[in-house]
This record gives sequence, structure tokens and C-alpha cells, in this order.
Amino acid sequence: MKKLNIDIETLRKSAIQAIKDAKDAVALENLRIQFLGRQDGELTKILRSLKDLALEEKRKIGPAANALRQELENALEQKLKSLQATSYKLQAGLDLTMPGKKVSVGHLHPLTIVEKEIREIFKSMNFSVVEGPEVESEYYNFDALNIPKDHPARDMWDTFWLKPTSNKQPTTHNKFLLRTHTSPVQIRYMEQHKPPFQIIVPGRVFRYEATDASHETNFHQVEGLMVGKDVTLANFKFVIQEFFRRLFKKNLEIRLRPSYFPFVEPGLEVDVQCVKCDGKGCNVCKESGWLEVMGAGMVHPRVFEFAHYNPRDLKGFAFGLGLERIAMIKYNIPDIRLFYSGDLRFIKQF
Amino acid sequence: MKFSFSIIQKLAPGKYDKATLVEKLNFHSFEAVDLGGDILEIAISPNRYSDASSHLGIAREVATIFNLKLNDPTSKLFKPDSKENGVFNVNIKDRKLCSRYMATYATNVKVGPSPKWLRDALESCGLRSINNVVDIMNYVMLEIGQPLHAFDADKISGGIIVRTAKKGESLETIDGNPRTQRAEQSSYDGNKLNLPPEILVIADMNGPLAIAGIKGGKPSEVTGKTRHILVEAANFDGGNIYRSSRILGLATDASARFSHQLSPELVSLAIWRTLQLLKELAGAKLYSPIDVYPKKQSKKVIKWNLKEINNLVGSDFSEKDALKTLQYLGFRKSGSSLEIPPLRRDIENIEDIAEEVARFRGYNNLVPVPPRVALASAEQEDQITLKDRMRTFLVSVGISEVYNYSFLSSKEISGQGVELRNPISSQSQFLRDSLKPHLIRNLEDNSRYFNEVRVFELGKVFNIQNGVQNEKLMLGIAILSKESHLELKGLVDSLLGGIGVTEYIAAEKNGNRLEFTVDGKLVGYLALASQPRGASVVELDLGELLKVTAEEREYKPLPKFPSITRDLSIFVPEDVRVGLILETIQRVSTKLVDDVDLIDFYEPTSQLQTKRDRSADSGKRRKSLTFRIVFRAEDRTLTDAEADREMAIINQVLINKFDAELR
Repeated sequence: MKKLNIDIETLRKSAIQAIKDAKDAVALENLRIQFLGRQDGELTKILRSLKDLALEEKRKIGPAANALRQELENALEQKLKSLQATSYKLQAGLDLTMPGKKVSVGHLHPLTIVEKEIREIFKSMNFSVVEGPEVESEYYNFDALNIPKDHPARDMWDTFWLKPTSNKQPTTHNKFLLRTHTSPVQIRYMEQHKPPFQIIVPGRVFRYEATDASHETNFHQVEGLMVGKDVTLANFKFVIQEFFRRLFKKNLEIRLRPSYFPFVEPGLEVDVQCVKCDGKGCNVCKESGWLEVMGAGMVHPRVFEFAHYNPRDLKGFAFGLGLERIAMIKYNIPDIRLFYSGDLRFIKQF
Repeated sequence: MKFSFSIIQKLAPGKYDKATLVEKLNFHSFEAVDLGGDILEIAISPNRYSDASSHLGIAREVATIFNLKLNDPTSKLFKPDSKENGVFNVNIKDRKLCSRYMATYATNVKVGPSPKWLRDALESCGLRSINNVVDIMNYVMLEIGQPLHAFDADKISGGIIVRTAKKGESLETIDGNPRTQRAEQSSYDGNKLNLPPEILVIADMNGPLAIAGIKGGKPSEVTGKTRHILVEAANFDGGNIYRSSRILGLATDASARFSHQLSPELVSLAIWRTLQLLKELAGAKLYSPIDVYPKKQSKKVIKWNLKEINNLVGSDFSEKDALKTLQYLGFRKSGSSLEIPPLRRDIENIEDIAEEVARFRGYNNLVPVPPRVALASAEQEDQITLKDRMRTFLVSVGISEVYNYSFLSSKEISGQGVELRNPISSQSQFLRDSLKPHLIRNLEDNSRYFNEVRVFELGKVFNIQNGVQNEKLMLGIAILSKESHLELKGLVDSLLGGIGVTEYIAAEKNGNRLEFTVDGKLVGYLALASQPRGASVVELDLGELLKVTAEEREYKPLPKFPSITRDLSIFVPEDVRVGLILETIQRVSTKLVDDVDLIDFYEPTSQLQTKRDRSADSGKRRKSLTFRIVFRAEDRTLTDAEADREMAIINQVLINKFDAELR
């Protein structure tokens, strides 16, 4: 019995080695016959002799022999597979090392990619996504946002005006312009909906100004507005910090500075820690460690009044960010004009 | 606006350096930049000109930031030399446009150069020294924020009249009429600026002496020969000065300040400070100021409500801390209300107070708090979803997205376009009425680098409909390739099918354009472009398509019985439309014909000649078409005999209808 045990172990060692050394499928088949052949296979013979042994020995050697058979079958199969996998070298006319055929895939514009990402983040925070018209009346773009007429505050937005299409007496409702920001949609949405709600508004906006590496006559903004009974500035800070951390996939700090927009009070400028240097200072953030990314504030009570809400019952925050600015930071794009070049050598990088 | 660090320090004395000041101002007050030397650039926000467009105003912010005592020069009492008003009187004709006018007569004025400190102060703030009298006026404007003007009193006849310009009046202004911005309607009569009737002027009995709030007149200018002066400090209506400045094309330090609407309370603060300096630096004999102030600015109070402040900010400011900040800024709590400092025209409600407290307590000490949100699902407008689906599909079939400008030139638009009143250039005078022109340009530009170009854009186009401008969301696709039009036609089919629009009609127009309609509504077109060769464009009106998209899909049972496929090759005259043949085959037996496809075709060439061409009407060229027809019955397995019978009918119909010849 001891002898049989030793036989099985030596058999295992030599069989495994032989399988490992086999050069091709033919050699492998020969090995299968040598060890597992129905008639004279070495292991087959051992298995066959089991029936002559005493019950106790059968119990000890039987499982070992059967386990070896299983092991050898697996080893043969594995080896065969690996031999097949490398056998292409031998086939004429098939060369898998040739370059793959170009599959033509289109590319989304980088501004679309960033806008989509922003939409997804805010949707996951329960913000709905709405849009508004690009041609606006003076009323929605300025008056209803508490931007006074005949006051230099209105000069903060250089405006493209449309030629009147009729001879009607011009009023603030029929004097049209290209919206200078996405903020008019705040009023439009509030006129149609009851709070509480939270929305973002992506869209194209226009400024009458000379074009250079960081200014364009048309560009894109994402507006945000959250209105409810007890919305606070501290809530804004939370939401916006969360947003930037998800957008840049980094644990960035934000900071708030006082600023002035007539439709918010208090008004704020939002800086985010520089994405490139994590706030240490680099050429992207002009060594300041911070990037100015957003204007924001608490909705001005007069804006609520224009939307026919009672400002004493409601509070809200609003913010606006430039999509191009975010994309330029995210992808290290040096010139805003590239977005409107239509150059596929640029688009295909995204 | 430029500021002098040394003046700020004089007004708010304390141990702080310039760099710290710049940083603190940015976090608590205004955007500030160190311009080197003594100079700071501070961006005063448009609502704060009344109280903060001055060194004293900035010093008040600084005193609040660092808890310092303000050294306010206007708090010192000054006694004029005479209780009399002097020889002049003041008559305000238009009290809406001028709410307060103070005038002080001074004699024995010694006009001469200013002392160094005064010249330096002006220079730091970007002003030029003229003489001590003019420099004092400018300095007080910088220090207190109120523009002033000094007239040569000997050039004034009678009294001062504040009124709008009369027809035909004109004035030669100081500095030889420099036009500092684009004027809307100014004109000159020699050296004299013509004054349209809405312009407010300071006049005497002979006519205008100065353009109110904007610029003084040359004839009454203070010069080295001046002995007696009349000092003006007044308050003018911001809107009027703003408009006048634009109309005349004159923007001055004074007009910029008045345009923002200053408080009339600044007037007296400034004039007393001016008299003090005139005594000190020009040794003048000063009369008592005349003060015409018909309707005094009313005292503003707001109900004190700390809870409301903390509710808005999400903070827990203590009453003590909040009031301490407000007291530094000049607010006074009396009983349950808060008195607003008279210069703070921007403060109207408790939200404004909240901002004052919050910005000085520090926004960066505010702890972020997650909002409480009602559990309503976030939604997305249908057109946004539709745009996303279009993008996903187009990118997956190898078309890249571009963004183009919203503007076109007059040559590029087709109808009566939407025109800009102030275009940036003639190339962008109109709003685009189609995505096509820019897309064609994208094809041309990119053809320098790529053999085939495929681009799309989603964007708004504009036209005039019933006299008003109309805005539409369009999808434009442009392809430059060998058979771009067929590629696009197939694309439109998949695109429309993908949004559930299977029933649409593609009607041919002029042989180079297809128009797509759904339920009789035009939803888009496909057109071949004349340039570059091989370019085609599709535009689809997504607004219209959104109305007809079908979201619901219903399962149709898979075919139970096998089909029989037959190919059919024919020659037809070259002007026969393939679309019509396809339709005809389909109609021969709508029950048994499951599908028809064009699988091969040859365009007619001179080499391609059929038997008939050679014999009868050889002038007419023919094209070769191969169709694949799939027959299937819903209720049984078709026999070859049945398919043959159908084919025979189809052949006969094609021969009769299209003069077809079987190959």
C-alpha cells in the first residue's frame, strides 16, 4: 500500500512535467494516451487495480488516484488551450499584430461634456434642469432682476440690442436684446412654479465686447436657483462646495468674497482652490492658489416681488458660472476662441 | 478707482500695512489691488458710490475691519468769516433734477500752486494739479466723495439758476471739449458744445456757466487772475446725469459719481471741508454758504431683527457682535429699530443689514450646512433630453459636435433676418437663421486636415414671424464625403426612427433638396451644398419634432414563416426617380412584399449602352438599378411559384410605368 502511494506521487510529478514540456497538440495527445489511455494508461492501470485491494486501503488510495486523474485532465486541457492560442503564428494570411481598423467615432464638444457633467451632479442633488430663450426682453434681462435703468449698474452687462421689428412705442417688454446672462430664467421659472424648488439653467449668453483669449461675444453659463422657506447662505456654501468637489474630483476648499449683483443680497464672488496646484500657487491661478469661478448670493427680496412671490415668506440662493471658464480650467485650454473654431483637431481631443 | 494708501491711513490711523489692507478689503469690502507705491485700485460697487467712493468711505470700512477710530475731517466745526451769504442767490428751477445746491462766496482768494502733500495726493489718484483752488475742489471730492466746482465769481452776472438747457444754447467747456466716450448726439458750434434741451445746466442771467454735474465752462474758469470765487456743491439726479453724459459723450470723475446717485447729505459735509482748506491754503475771506435744500432726505430706519439675519445667513451671530460691526459703520440702534447712516443709499431692508454683518464677521467663518430638500424628483426638460439623445446617436455613428457663433452677415441670411442694433462687425450683423452657413465653413476648414468631415451642431436660429422674432432649436448635420447626401438621408431615417418618428415624407425639391414633413408639418430638409464639392447638410427642427416623438413602443410578434428573397435588375431612363420605383414595387402587393431595397446602381455613362439604346431612341441615357425584394406571408410559408407570380406582376408594372428594361 505504501508503495502504491509513492507510485501515485511520482506519477503525478512526471506527468505534470511532461505536459508542461509538450511542444504541440500531437505530443499532448500522446501524453494523454500514456497516462490516461483506456487500455494501458499508467494511471488507468492503478485505478483498475484498486478493486483488488482491501477496503481500508481502497478508501485511502482511491480518492488520491481519482484526484490525480482530475488534475491531469485539467492540465491537459489548459495546455491544449495555450497551444491553440499561440498557434496563429503558423497560419498564413492572418496577422493579428497589424494595426486595428479605424472605427469612426464622433466626439462631443468639450462644453457639452462639461455641461453634462454639471447637470448630472446637480440632478443627483435634486436640482431640475430647465432652459430659456436667448432673445430676451429688457424686462426679464434687467428690470425684473432689479438692475436699475439709467444707472451705471446696468453697464456691468455690455448688451447686444435688436433692431425694433415694428413701429410700436418701445416699452421694456418689447425692447429686445440678446440675454447677457441666464438669470432671466430665474424670473421666468418663478412665474410658472411654486416653491420649494431647485433648478439649474444651462444656456448660451451674449456680451457686446471685443474678443480675446478670455472674452467672447457668445459664451455659456449655468445658472442655479434654490428657493424655499428656510434656505440659507450656509446651505449655498454646502451645495457649492459639494458641487466643486465632485466636478474636479478633489477635496477642494471654496471661499466667499463680498461682491455686488443687483439681484442678490448679500452678493458674493466664489473662489475655488486651484485645481492644478491644490492651492499652492501656479501659473494657472496667477500664484494666488485660488480661481474665481462664480458669482452668487441670496435672492434679492425685490426679485421675489417681481416674480409675484412674498419675499417675507421665502428665501433662496442663486449662482451663475461660466461654462467656458470651467472647461478651460478642467482641460487646460488657453484660449476661449478655440471652442468656436469648429476645428476637429481640437474637438477630437475630447 | 484709484486710492492713496497714505490718505486712508490718515483717516483711519492704525498699525496695518498695505498688503494686509488689500487682503482684508478683498474679504470684507471690495475687490482691491495693490498698484505699487502709494496707490491702490479699489473696485467700488455701483450701489456704494454714495458712501464709499471716497477715502473717508474706504477709511470707514478699514476702521470696521481693524476696529479703529475714524479720524473724520468733516466732524470738525468751521466758522466762516462772515455771517452774510455774499452777493449771490441761488434759484433751482427743476427740483427733481437738483435736490440740493450749496454755494459759498469767497473773496481775496490767492490763486497759486498747491503744497506738495496736495499735489502728491492728487497724483496718487490719477489727477493733475492745476492750481490750489481747483486742486482743493478735486481733493475734497477724493476725500469726501462729493464733486465740487469753483467759478470765477466776477464772471457771473446776477445769481445762480439751475435749469435745463434752452433751445440753441451752447457752452465752451474747460479742457477744450475733449470727447471721452462715444456721444449719442453731441454737436459743436465752433468751440462750443451745443446743449440739447434735456441737459441740466448751471446758468446766470446771460446763459449757461457749466453743464451740471459733468463739466465747468471755460468763461467762468478759475485762473491765476481770479480774485473772487463761488464754490458749488450740489446734488443732481443720477439718471439725468447718466443720460446727459451719454448724450454729450462727456464722462468725467464728477459725472461718474453723480450717475450713481449720491446722497444730498454729502453736499454740506463737503462744502465745510472745502471752506476749511480754502482758508488754510488760499487765505480767502469766506462768506456763509447758501443752502437750497427744499426737501431734506428723510431719515431711514429699519426694524432690528437679529433672528431674520441669522435665518438668512445660516449663522449664529450674537446681538453684541452684530451691533458692534454696525456701529463702526455708522448705524445706530434706537429702541427696536436701526437708524441707517444718511450716506448709505444702498441699505433698504434687513437683507442689506445681514450683508453688512456677515461680510465683516467673515463669510469664511460660515459653516456649510446641507439644505433640507423636499423629496420631489429632479426633472429635465424634454428638449434637453432630446438633445442628449441626438448627441449620443450622432457621436456613435462618427459625427463630431461643433459650436458656432450665433451671428451671420447680411449676405448669409436668407429672409428678413433678426438684425442687431449694435453689431460687433458687419460680418455679424444678423442672428443666424440657419445653422448651415457655419457648418459648411466647418467642412471647408476641416477638409484641409481630413479627407472626410462629419460635423453636427445643436443650436438656436432666429427669424421674423408675423412681425416678431421667433427662436427655434435646430439640429444641423453636415457631411463632406463621396456620397454625403445618401449618408445623410440614411442618417435622418435612423435618427427619426430612433425617436419614434417612422411616418414621415421626404419630398424632392428642385432635384437638390429633400424636405421632410410629419403630418403635413415641415420638420427639416436635406440639401446639397454648391461648395465644397461633396458637401451636404441636413437641418431638423427639434421643436417641431418634439411634438411628434412617440416614446411608447409596442412589441410586434416575430415572423412565424420564412421569407423568399428575389433580386431584380432593370434599366430605366435616367430621369426616373428611384423613390417612385420603390414605392411602386411596395404597392404592387402590399400583403406579400415585406421589404424593398436598392442594393446596387450604375449612373449612366456613355459606355453603358443597352440593346434598346442602340436601336430605337438611342439619345436617351439609361441607368441600371438592382432591387432586393423580400416576400413574406403572415399566415403560411410562401411557395416559389407565388413569389414568381409576384415578380412577374412587378416586372410588368415597371415596364409599363417606367419604360423599364429587364437585365
